[in-house]
Amino acid sequence: MTRFTFLLSAVVLCLFTVSSVQAEDLSQIEWETSANVLIGDPNAKQGGTFRTWINAYPLTFRLVGPDSNDGFSGWKRSFSQDFTLAQMHPTTDEWIPLMATHWKTMPDGKTIYFKLDPDATWSDGKPITASDYVFTWEMCQSPHIVDPFYNQYMLDYYESVEALDTYTLKIVGKQKSWRPLYEYNLWPMPRHVHDIKDGWVKDMNLVTPTVPGPYVITEQQQGKKVVFERTRPWWGDGKERFKGLFNVDKIDVLVVLDTDKAYDHFVKGDINFLRMTTAKTWAEMDLEAVDKGWVQKKRIFVDYPQGMYGFAMNVQKPPFTDVNFRKALQYSLDFDEINDNLMYSAYFRMVSAFEGMIYENPDLKPYGFDPKKAREHLSLAGFTKRGKDGIFAKEDGTRASFSFTYGSPGLTRHVTVVKQKFKRLGIEMELDLLEGGTAFKKGLERDYQCMLMSRTTNFFPGPHQYFHSDFLPTTNNNNIWAYGTPETDKLIDVYRFDEDADARLKAMHELDAAIQDAAFYIPLWQAPFVRVLHWNDVQFPRGYFPKRFQRIENSQVFWIDTDKEAELMAAKKSGKSLTVDGVVDVDAYGIKAAMEKSMSSLSN
Amino acid sequence: MRLPGLDPITKKRLQRFRRIKRGYYSFLTLVILFIISLFSEFVANDRAIFVQHEGKMYFPTFRYHDMATFGQEDEYGFNDVEANYRALKDEKKAFVIMPLIPFDPYEPDFTYDEPPPNRPDRYHWLGTDGQGRDVLARLLYGFRISMIFALCLVIVSQTTGTIIGSLQGYKGGTFDLLSQRFVEIWSSLPFLFVVIILASMFRVNVIVLVLIYALFQWIGITYFMRTEMYREKTREYCLAAQSYGASGWRIMFRHLLPNCITPLVTLTPFTIVGAIFGLTALDFLGYGLPPPTPSWGELIGQGLQSDNRDSVWLSISPFGAISFTLILVTFVGESVREAFDPKQYARYK
Repeated sequence: MTRFTFLLSAVVLCLFTVSSVQAEDLSQIEWETSANVLIGDPNAKQGGTFRTWINAYPLTFRLVGPDSNDGFSGWKRSFSQDFTLAQMHPTTDEWIPLMATHWKTMPDGKTIYFKLDPDATWSDGKPITASDYVFTWEMCQSPHIVDPFYNQYMLDYYESVEALDTYTLKIVGKQKSWRPLYEYNLWPMPRHVHDIKDGWVKDMNLVTPTVPGPYVITEQQQGKKVVFERTRPWWGDGKERFKGLFNVDKIDVLVVLDTDKAYDHFVKGDINFLRMTTAKTWAEMDLEAVDKGWVQKKRIFVDYPQGMYGFAMNVQKPPFTDVNFRKALQYSLDFDEINDNLMYSAYFRMVSAFEGMIYENPDLKPYGFDPKKAREHLSLAGFTKRGKDGIFAKEDGTRASFSFTYGSPGLTRHVTVVKQKFKRLGIEMELDLLEGGTAFKKGLERDYQCMLMSRTTNFFPGPHQYFHSDFLPTTNNNNIWAYGTPETDKLIDVYRFDEDADARLKAMHELDAAIQDAAFYIPLWQAPFVRVLHWNDVQFPRGYFPKRFQRIENSQVFWIDTDKEAELMAAKKSGKSLTVDGVVDVDAYGIKAAMEKSMSSLSN
Repeated sequence: MRLPGLDPITKKRLQRFRRIKRGYYSFLTLVILFIISLFSEFVANDRAIFVQHEGKMYFPTFRYHDMATFGQEDEYGFNDVEANYRALKDEKKAFVIMPLIPFDPYEPDFTYDEPPPNRPDRYHWLGTDGQGRDVLARLLYGFRISMIFALCLVIVSQTTGTIIGSLQGYKGGTFDLLSQRFVEIWSSLPFLFVVIILASMFRVNVIVLVLIYALFQWIGITYFMRTEMYREKTREYCLAAQSYGASGWRIMFRHLLPNCITPLVTLTPFTIVGAIFGLTALDFLGYGLPPPTPSWGELIGQGLQSDNRDSVWLSISPFGAISFTLILVTFVGESVREAFDPKQYARYK
């Protein structure tokens, strides 16, 4: 080859490679974003210290790896580390920018382009670039993080994560999805800080992480407290989507080993926000500070998916093979007896398998306590004669008796009351209290007749794993009731794969009704509210929390009013009262109203 | 009290026991209380002992009678549910004799304005527990279960332990060597953990719990029986029995054992104390008898829950009952020891 030909082919080759790098023509993309990004109150004051508590000192500040998902993780995620590309607005459910300002999902339902916010920097000042997101993807696949969940997650969901240029990211998922932003989201990890090798887990345990968020851990007192301080200025300051969020200067997270002591700490003032968990303490609380207006006592109604919680019946084991027996049990549960006598009437009955979501069938009427109907269904199931011990039996002598497996000793008093009521109505329920893990396992293996089950859910439910006949032949899955019919299978597949949102909604509503009709799940109670106490210096927007609020650690809308703080200090010294706002229930989203309406339909 | 057929030594021991008033009266109290608790269904029950209605007589304690028999109807319109005897008595429609405590230990009482637990009043003399069940009734039935558990356990474990210990002492040699090593290894197992693990894997009842507990309890008496056997084996009467050809078993149980029972008899009351305490501890932790079995440990557990700390009757009642019972048993034990091995002949000190 002459030197000329060599040079020519070299140039052609270069041009070729250069042009293949430019194969992604980003200029054609119609970028999407949302303008309704306000979450917090834009008039929120800045400054002050928020004092809160956790049950145990965190074993690590890492975001992934062993022990990283503990009680502390809410704080480290929402305020410091877990800042994803896009986020769902916690009240409008719309996708809005977070780390990415714009995005575009391709028609193939699995490719998404993201335009990153070029102002974003790590807490050490270095810019956050697309390469940091690729790094997250690489890191989470590494065995050195010792996190099989993330390893599997990356493998199952992500095909590739590419940095097209410094601030443009391309994510390709493994399969077509009608909610690609939900399934193929990602957060950044600082490539320049982490060296993923053997021993990473131990090395990074309590090292102050380099973070994209506005709060950095500045103080750690082993076993006692962790302190976050607000970086000012932060790259997000002034941006519309962060207005009214991240308002306080310091977050003190105190370690309180005994949950009951948290209340005492609150009264003393060591903690200025407390979530109350039991009905009894809420109902019987007698705090002078509340009467004087120094402490606000609020029950805030929020709307988030409740998951499933109630009695599960194994459809494959008699007597639950007969739908009439199952229905008899549904009508025999006296929810009001437990709620009014044991729980201070504080809770509401769940009705749907998809409670708290749009997929909840709004026309569903709960079974309710109806002894006559229970009796009817018992005889339809063949249990016609009442034996010498008061329990109904069939002609052949089979008694209406079953064992009830459960794993939480705290529920014993509730299920014992239920047992007594069942006995009066002629059904015998033998209580089988096992250790939590053992009971759970028995459920998965379908080695039970009736059991107490509880499952949380994400924003999008997963009916396939719970109700599809795909999971019938095997055990150790979530279809613990062994339910599956061809009709409901079809409905589930519509939800999973159909592009039309209305078709999906309709299918899920039908599924909800079918599940209720099959009667193998008796829903118990839900608490679609949060009961809180807070000192007067802690302030919130009008509705208190965004609609989809679950925990204070996920909600960055609070602020400290330093004027009110000074006023509070003075009032405490002098013993003077401040204005008492007698309202306890906060129902900004109409949840309580809706709940009470459906309860009144029960009595019809 | 003349007991024909007992040998003079035993008679003397019984006399000595009776002479120690504290132990004797404790023993009588315990026996009386135990007998009463055996008839708990007649002392605390929501079923009447006797009903005379429209000329007919009924004894409902162990029989199911429905509401139709007495012309009653419940709030749902059914009359084939079990009759409400308290209501029958209140309505004066029949002659009803209710037990002293007209509540059974299982049924919740939600008739108060406030949610349970409710403080003691003239209906529930020791108040109600977290689910509205009468505390006194639960104490009584719990006492019965504790005593039966303790007695069964003592019989099973002491018998096993005595036989094995005696064999060890009598046979000696390799058998003693090997079995003693086994006993040492077995006794190093953490008893409570093993019981908890076993109890959490399958549903337990009294019999299963007795067997599990006995698995560990039998060791204690073997040390004593072994030593006693070793000592008695050297006596002349033992040699005499052997010389006329008595078999090993006969010598052990007919001749030697009656002289070795001092540690057995004196330790048994304390083993009973330990058994009651052990069952209470297991129930308190939640690994003993399954709910809703009445038990003292379960009541204490309820009393110590953070929600119930103001309801002092929940923890004081079972605590008082346990203390009282264990003090009585301890007095009996002391007196037994005094009777069988009085200080006047003590070899130590």
